Amino acid sequence: MVLDSHHPMRATVPLLCLFFLFLLAEDAWAAAEISDFRVMVDGDRALISLKLEHAFNSRFWERVDSGLPTSILYRFQLEKDRKRWYDRQLKETTYEVVATYDAVERQYTVNCKLDGKLVESRTVHDHDQQALAGAMTRLEALPVFTLDRPPEPWRLLIKARAELGSKTVLSLVPVLITTEWVESRKFRLPAREP
Amino acid sequence: MRRLDLRGTLHRHRKDPRLTVGGLGLLLLLFTAGFYLVQRNRDLPSYLVTNRVLLFVLWYINVVLILAVLFVLLRNLFKLLIERRHRILGSTFKFKLVGTYVGLSLIPVLLLFAIATELLQGSVERWFNTPLKPVLSQGSTVAQALYDRIEGTDLREAGRALAELRRFDLQKAEERARLGKRLQELQRELGLDFLAVYEGTDFVQAVVDPRAGIESLPEPGHDFLEEILRRGQALRREERPAGRGRLLMAGIAAPRSSTAADAPAEPLVVVAGSLLAPALSDASEALIQRFQSFRQLEVQKDDLKASHLLIFLMVTLLILLASSWVGLYLARRVTVPIQALAEGTRRISSGDLAHRVVVDADDELGVLVRSFNQMTEELGSNKELLEHSNRELTATNARLAEERALLAAVLENVAAGVVSTDAAGRILTCNGAALKILRQREEEVIGRRVEEAWADPERGKLAALLAEGSIAVGSREVHLVLGGEWKTFDAKVTPMRGGGEGAGALLGRVLVIEDLTALIKAQQLAAWNEAARRIAHEIKNPLTPIRLGAERLLRKAEQGDADLPRAIADAVEIIVREVGTIQQMVDEFSRFARMPRPRPTAVDVGRLLDETLHLYRNLKPGVEVSGGVTGPLPEVQLDGEQIKRVLINLLDNAVEATDAPGRITVSAHADGADGADGAGQLEIQVKDTGRGIPPESKEKLFLPYFSTKGRGTGLGLAIVHRIVSDHHGSVRVEDNVPTGSVFTLELPLG
Repeated sequence: MVLDSHHPMRATVPLLCLFFLFLLAEDAWAAAEISDFRVMVDGDRALISLKLEHAFNSRFWERVDSGLPTSILYRFQLEKDRKRWYDRQLKETTYEVVATYDAVERQYTVNCKLDGKLVESRTVHDHDQQALAGAMTRLEALPVFTLDRPPEPWRLLIKARAELGSKTVLSLVPVLITTEWVESRKFRLPAREP
Repeated sequence: MRRLDLRGTLHRHRKDPRLTVGGLGLLLLLFTAGFYLVQRNRDLPSYLVTNRVLLFVLWYINVVLILAVLFVLLRNLFKLLIERRHRILGSTFKFKLVGTYVGLSLIPVLLLFAIATELLQGSVERWFNTPLKPVLSQGSTVAQALYDRIEGTDLREAGRALAELRRFDLQKAEERARLGKRLQELQRELGLDFLAVYEGTDFVQAVVDPRAGIESLPEPGHDFLEEILRRGQALRREERPAGRGRLLMAGIAAPRSSTAADAPAEPLVVVAGSLLAPALSDASEALIQRFQSFRQLEVQKDDLKASHLLIFLMVTLLILLASSWVGLYLARRVTVPIQALAEGTRRISSGDLAHRVVVDADDELGVLVRSFNQMTEELGSNKELLEHSNRELTATNARLAEERALLAAVLENVAAGVVSTDAAGRILTCNGAALKILRQREEEVIGRRVEEAWADPERGKLAALLAEGSIAVGSREVHLVLGGEWKTFDAKVTPMRGGGEGAGALLGRVLVIEDLTALIKAQQLAAWNEAARRIAHEIKNPLTPIRLGAERLLRKAEQGDADLPRAIADAVEIIVREVGTIQQMVDEFSRFARMPRPRPTAVDVGRLLDETLHLYRNLKPGVEVSGGVTGPLPEVQLDGEQIKRVLINLLDNAVEATDAPGRITVSAHADGADGADGAGQLEIQVKDTGRGIPPESKEKLFLPYFSTKGRGTGLGLAIVHRIVSDHHGSVRVEDNVPTGSVFTLELPLG
């Protein structure tokens, strides 16, 4: 087939490619990720620490400063170290950090809920946005699971993922903004003292 | 069977009107819910409209609807394609109709959705591109600046107060009393509405300006004080109860002054507050909140568009689903009866006349289906009738075949030759007798035209006889020289005419020929015997007087009788008279033997009759002679003199046989003269009321020298027969009623 130099196909195909690249690039640029994910076992409790990076991009700040309740939902899964996916999961826990800005008071109210129960609430002045970011993206020694000793001496691990709200694709399709799942190192429960 | 039962159950359910009504009700409910949602959309707060759960629920509903629409369309498309592939009758029509219906519903709805989506997106973009945003932003900035300014002033004044108050030793009672007084002075001097002193987070003293309208002592809160202690200073905006404005507080902390003895470890905290009037604070907060609301809307712009689009898409899909369904339903309402009719047509064309189209339709298609079933029923009954007729026809054919075989056997065994031709003159059958008479083989005549089969001059006479045989031709004597032999045949042609609808149409002709040669020879022999006997008798009659006269003369001469001369004279007279009689008889015989061939000319039969009858009127007293032509009669080709002689012979006999009072009638008329071939015959009847003819004499009546009168030559009726035969006609005699005889002459008109 001989294409005319002004054939519309010549312009359409590259434009479509650019459009999809743009979509991919936007997601890549905005992708948040969990780092420094650590698990400590304190008796029968599993304490996790993590940092969520690249969460506060301009769009996130816009939403927070608009006064809308803006949340980051951390989802944790306690799993056995098993091969098959249906034989792994033991428990699941969510930890939600919700920030609500009061423009009159000029402060953020940050509520933290573990499995839907309020465990902490604090206010942060809008002069200190780093403190807000820290409050929402840094978890230190958060006790997320009570570890029941399994009948078999499985190795355990904890998986974590953060959900940062949603966006729409092509102004129509809602898509959840999440990080990838990250896994802790595998660990064993210390032997029970006699 | 189980599958069939399931299909039947589904079919029954599909026909159940309650299901249809229920489905329509559900659809109406969904539309109402959608409409309500769209209407309520305006009243709902934006965070609810843009709620993530709502968005996902809407999206999943839309996905389900898209799948439903695709399922409905693809299922029907698949079915149609399969029907077309299997070449099911009516599938092409159904494909086009469904395509048209679905296309007519799909295209406008999708176009409307595309246009409305574009309009909606444009409208949402335009809402946020208005000059309202800078206005709200600047108003919020002004309000915040006002707050900042007041808070700045309060912070500065709190610092000034702290610088002075930190010199107080709050452990001493007199110092505390003096602190309270100084606080009041500072509050007035600095123009503050509220001034409080804390040791760490412990309350020490506070004053409020009663004119400011602060009825109760504000409590900054423990977290505020901790923030002051932690950061050295902090700001707090507190809304006063009952809408009495907003208290702007600024706190500052500093370690206790070195001049104070036994300074405590806790730093001194001073909180200064200014009450913003309700009107001003409300206006400022309204500005801030409006701007915040705008920002919230702006942030949720995408979600807002998405939620509106999803709701719109949901309504569109519902319409699409409904219209597709209705389109398919309507198409099915049309195509199912037509397909059933097409299938019915196929079944009926394959011979299944018991098939009936069962379609529940009350419209014109229902009328068509009922008419089709009625037509099928009539076809079935007609088929039964046809089969019955066919059985009868088969039986008739078998019977006809038997009869034909019988007829063939009869024809083969009769002495007469029988030849049949079709209307065109082609020979269909020719029995063995005919082949023998005509000295031909079957292959020489069967299937050939008579002119071809009988091309020679002798047999050509038969061909000519057949050619003129459109009407019945009476027995005719035909003389043929076949194989060097002179043969006399009695030939009769009978036309075969159709019955029923084609009644009268010429189907063909049948020629029956009978070899009369031997019979005629026998008759002639008998006739000659009779003639010899009659002639001998007739000659003997005059011979007796002659002999007696001669013997008398001899006796007179021997006796020398004087009367001899007289006797001679008498004897001579007798001899002359009797010889004359013999002479007359010989003349008659000679005339009969030398009968000339007829010379036909155009003859006016009426005139001929008048001339003949004129001779006999008043001939015999008491015997009335009358007659004439009845009906139209054209001039006829006849030998007038010979026919006149026939009539004279017949009238002579009639007059002689009729005694007074009697009546003789001569009539003539044309019979069949207006036939299709113009042929016909002239019929002349001579009726008398005389003595009649005995039955035993009728057979010999036309033989020469036969007479019932006991005198005469007996040649009169023989001459009549000879003349009529020479004219290709016939003559017969019957009894007249009540008495007498009827002589009928039949002469061809052609």
